[in-house]
Amino acid sequence: MRKLLLLIIVVALSSSAYRVSAQDNLSPQRKQAIDSLALEKVRDLSKYISIIGDKQTQWSDAQRVIERAVELFMENSEVGVSSLNKQDVNYYKVREYFDRLMQLNYSKVTIDWYKIQYVSNLERQPDGTYVGVITIYQRFQGFDKEKGLVYEDTTKKDITIYVKRKETQIGGRTIGFWDVMLGDIRVKETSK
Amino acid sequence: MRSITWLILLFLPLWSLSQGSIGNFSVDETIFYSQTKQMNQFFLRFNGEEDIHGKRLYEGDPGYHDLKTRKKYVNMLFDNSNSLISDDTKFVFIEEALNKKNPVFLDFHGNSWFAEVAATFLYKKEKVNLILYLKLEKQNGGYKWMFSNVYFDRFESWFTHINDTANLKYFIHPMSHELDFMNLHKIFRDSGNLDYYLESDYQPDMLALFVMEMKNENLEFISVNNVKFHIFQVQNWYFEVSYFNRNDMNSGWLISNILRVTEREKKDLIRHYSHTN
Repeated sequence: MRKLLLLIIVVALSSSAYRVSAQDNLSPQRKQAIDSLALEKVRDLSKYISIIGDKQTQWSDAQRVIERAVELFMENSEVGVSSLNKQDVNYYKVREYFDRLMQLNYSKVTIDWYKIQYVSNLERQPDGTYVGVITIYQRFQGFDKEKGLVYEDTTKKDITIYVKRKETQIGGRTIGFWDVMLGDIRVKETSK
Repeated sequence: MRSITWLILLFLPLWSLSQGSIGNFSVDETIFYSQTKQMNQFFLRFNGEEDIHGKRLYEGDPGYHDLKTRKKYVNMLFDNSNSLISDDTKFVFIEEALNKKNPVFLDFHGNSWFAEVAATFLYKKEKVNLILYLKLEKQNGGYKWMFSNVYFDRFESWFTHINDTANLKYFIHPMSHELDFMNLHKIFRDSGNLDYYLESDYQPDMLALFVMEMKNENLEFISVNNVKFHIFQVQNWYFEVSYFNRNDMNSGWLISNILRVTEREKKDLIRHYSHTN
């Protein structure tokens, strides 16, 4: 419901702004509206990651959530993961990343999200799509039944967002709106 | 020390700043607020285009391009652990770049900056390190990063004998044309010494070799290991920006090297740092 409301606000904001100027330049107000929509998608992603990683989640439920999570992304999106003790970055398709998260060998997993978030400028690509990066931070804890907390890290997640102007027909009228999709994610372990 | 105190005071109230945020994890996040999290943020902080909470400032907003704030911000954008960057250098740089009359603003879309990407590849099944250089290019009202050069020591090693004036052994004698260059087959049989026969001012195109080796599947990408940026946008100065992953207020994208150079020296530096001839 909240998402629908937000979408309507964004559509209204962007369509009125669109009438004023058909230019591709994003006004600060329009950018703020798009940022909100993008952050809503990232918020959904963070919720899905917490559910997928939670050992209490049933396998079938986790599969459903993985499907929803994958729908947030552009096709061919990848997750590049690095740790402090390894120089190379491992690249995974998003579905593979979620599958690995679901299968982690801990008896309990806790995933917390820091309150901080950072949204970059939106830059225009040659194809007219805008691209930006949202940075968020996550704390991961893996527990063993007998040993308790056995693994802990804090990762910085730089998430690509793609913003594209689209049009739809509502009641015979053409309404323009900005569609936001997630793209590649760079996951970097932060220094302890 | 004074800048660290200023930094702590600046970001102290950020413990509970959470309106509309992704998470609800209640810990001190001061370091993350202080950290220059993206190169985008480096530009905005340098230019005084965001406030201390990371909120974007636009023309007309209070504090936008404010020189006093910029001086404090730019001072924080240096890697404090680098003893080679003296306080005097920082002071002179800030005074010159942020002078009242004509303060400098970094331009993401401007020329005179490029990215250096250290990456691992497999070259004929052997793990090797390459450096890729990328520049932003405008197309159709948008921008894209483009490869401008590559450095791979193996490619360099193929051309070590260009203009070797001490060489009196490997050459194609001056009457070879009368024999339809029939002696070429001897030269090509000894392909390891082929670079002796290249004209003395020949400049090998490393990017062309890179493309060829990638297309022939001799090179296979594994991973990006490190990224840094070389910035030449401030008159009479060059600086390098690198990422510092550490549990410290002074972390993220920071100035890791700075030099006072003339505009003429800049051209040499660009050639040096981008491995262009």
